[in-house]
Amino acid sequence: MQPSHTIQRIFIHLLSLSALCCSQPLLADVILPSVDDKFIELTVEDPTRDAGYVVGDILNRTVTITIKKPYELIEESLPIIGYEHRYKGEVSGIELVGIDKKTTTATDSETHVLDLSYQVFKTHRVAKPAALPAEILKLRNTQNPKEIVQYRIPSFNFRISPLSLIGQIKLAQEMYPFTPPLTLDTNKAMLHIKLLAGLLALSMLGLLYILGTRAWLPRMGAPFARAYREVKKLDDSPDGIKQAVSCVHAAMNKTAGMSLFSHNLAELLDSKPTFKPAQYEIEKFFGFSHQVFFEDCSQPLNSVNPRAWLLTLCRHLRDCERGLVPDIMQGDYT
Amino acid sequence: MSDRQLADWRQHALTLESEVNKVVVGQSNPIRLITISIFARGHVLLEGDVGVGKTTLLRAIARGVGGAYQRIEGTIDLMPNDLVYHTYLGEDGKPHVSPGPILEAGEDLSIFFFNEINRARPQVHSLLLRVMAERTLTAFNKEHHFPHMLVFADRNQVEKEETFDIPSAARDRFMMEIPIVVPADQSIMESLVFDTRFHNVDKLVDGVPQNILQYKDLNGFAAQLQDSISASPALRQYALELWKATKKPMDYGVKVSGVDMSRLVLSGASPRGMAMLLRAARVNAWLNERSAVIPDDIHAVFHETIAHRVVFSPVYEMRRTEIAREMLDGIVSAVAAP
Repeated sequence: MQPSHTIQRIFIHLLSLSALCCSQPLLADVILPSVDDKFIELTVEDPTRDAGYVVGDILNRTVTITIKKPYELIEESLPIIGYEHRYKGEVSGIELVGIDKKTTTATDSETHVLDLSYQVFKTHRVAKPAALPAEILKLRNTQNPKEIVQYRIPSFNFRISPLSLIGQIKLAQEMYPFTPPLTLDTNKAMLHIKLLAGLLALSMLGLLYILGTRAWLPRMGAPFARAYREVKKLDDSPDGIKQAVSCVHAAMNKTAGMSLFSHNLAELLDSKPTFKPAQYEIEKFFGFSHQVFFEDCSQPLNSVNPRAWLLTLCRHLRDCERGLVPDIMQGDYT
Repeated sequence: MSDRQLADWRQHALTLESEVNKVVVGQSNPIRLITISIFARGHVLLEGDVGVGKTTLLRAIARGVGGAYQRIEGTIDLMPNDLVYHTYLGEDGKPHVSPGPILEAGEDLSIFFFNEINRARPQVHSLLLRVMAERTLTAFNKEHHFPHMLVFADRNQVEKEETFDIPSAARDRFMMEIPIVVPADQSIMESLVFDTRFHNVDKLVDGVPQNILQYKDLNGFAAQLQDSISASPALRQYALELWKATKKPMDYGVKVSGVDMSRLVLSGASPRGMAMLLRAARVNAWLNERSAVIPDDIHAVFHETIAHRVVFSPVYEMRRTEIAREMLDGIVSAVAAP
């Protein structure tokens, strides 16, 4: 054999070998006919959620497949740990990291339980869709060994969430699952809120005071309650007594909504029956008022202590306007 | 004047009231107001529908007051001289002149009753104005005095044909204009219809004792009465506020339904009217055994002494009675005392 022939032969072998090597993957990707569904029973337990997975997470999937005779599973077609699936030429980033198979044989079928564990090896700046790959199982017809068919286990779609990495993102702007959200300094804002709330409360109190005709409590600004406070401030002098009687008159007029006199007292009692228990006292008051304002000023007043009597009257009438029944004295002015 | 005199006269006044109340039932308030007028020496105008007892009431009062009583019917052809004299041919065939109703009784005339005054012409009203204001009359070259005379007049508010509206100056001469209405009490209404006692008016009026009051002493007593009843500064202030309110009710927040208050009042109460109001209020205080006037005394006579004096815009005159009542009620409600 001439050396040139040897070199030529080696070259041819190498060429054949390389052609054989290149043709192997092509053979593996040959699309086989699908098995008739009547020979297959499939149950798949997918992960319970389909979102929120990040890089490093493991997704478990249990596939139970029953293959009826004459077909049987070609063990070599089971997915291989570490095999990187591709989608449109790009690595999917979902890698099978564990597979466990249990087989149960029956007279007319075989049941294979496949526990598949996939790990996510991909991350994005935003949430992106991903899928546990559809695994292709190959089956052989035991009665016709040349007939090879395939069965496709459906894929499982899910979403990969972004995983923020320190240094790549700003934690103040993007959330990071392993650190709590950064808090803003609210002390200043809280101080402002407290100051404004205080101001608002003061304003509301002021408004309440004004709307309540300068009275803090309900009915505190009612005519007789006000008259009672005013009479308390007055003295026992004749002018003080006149002023006190005027105060009571003003309260009566305001309560009645008209100028009240002894002859139209019934109108007040009809419109505001709560004052009926005090009718006797009111009538006495008109007599007293006549004495103070219209009769001979040189005559002594019929009351020993007119201011005290007027105060008591005001208190009783204040009780009446509050809907209470006053403890009315049935005596004279004393 | 002693308290005893005041009490005696009060007793007479109450007796008069009581006796007249027996004759004219259901009119106690008008009777009280007429009694007040008698003692305040003011003339009275009664206003009311036909047949409500105005004439009977005045006749009964006249009988109780005593003195001479004269009466004339207002007609469209009544002339002033008909009040002063009348002429006739005597049995001797010669013309004679006799004194008319005003002159006939001379100074003893105590009540002059002018029936249906609004049927008389304005000339008659004019004569009456002087007689009412001055209690004198010049006739037959002589001035006649009627010191005890009170004029009681009545007018029918319903009929308007062949009547002459009494001018405001004439109305102002009357101390009071008193409305007479049919009593609302069912039993009184039944008595008026079925009780035969009320069918004979002459006999009914004769039931009132004569001369309950000494009419010749009335002027003197009335003057002393006015001096005896005091009016405190607070009451005077109150009366002045009422007076102002009759002139400008809007300033006191007085409203009358369906009336433009800015156009309503042309003229409020006159000073004479307010003086009469206080005179009447004093008499009311005396009748109620008080020595001083209180606001209630003013209220008791306020409507009757003021309502006919207020001059309204002509557009509101037709509703005078109703508007005046509502306005004066509003004034009493709006003005506080003290």
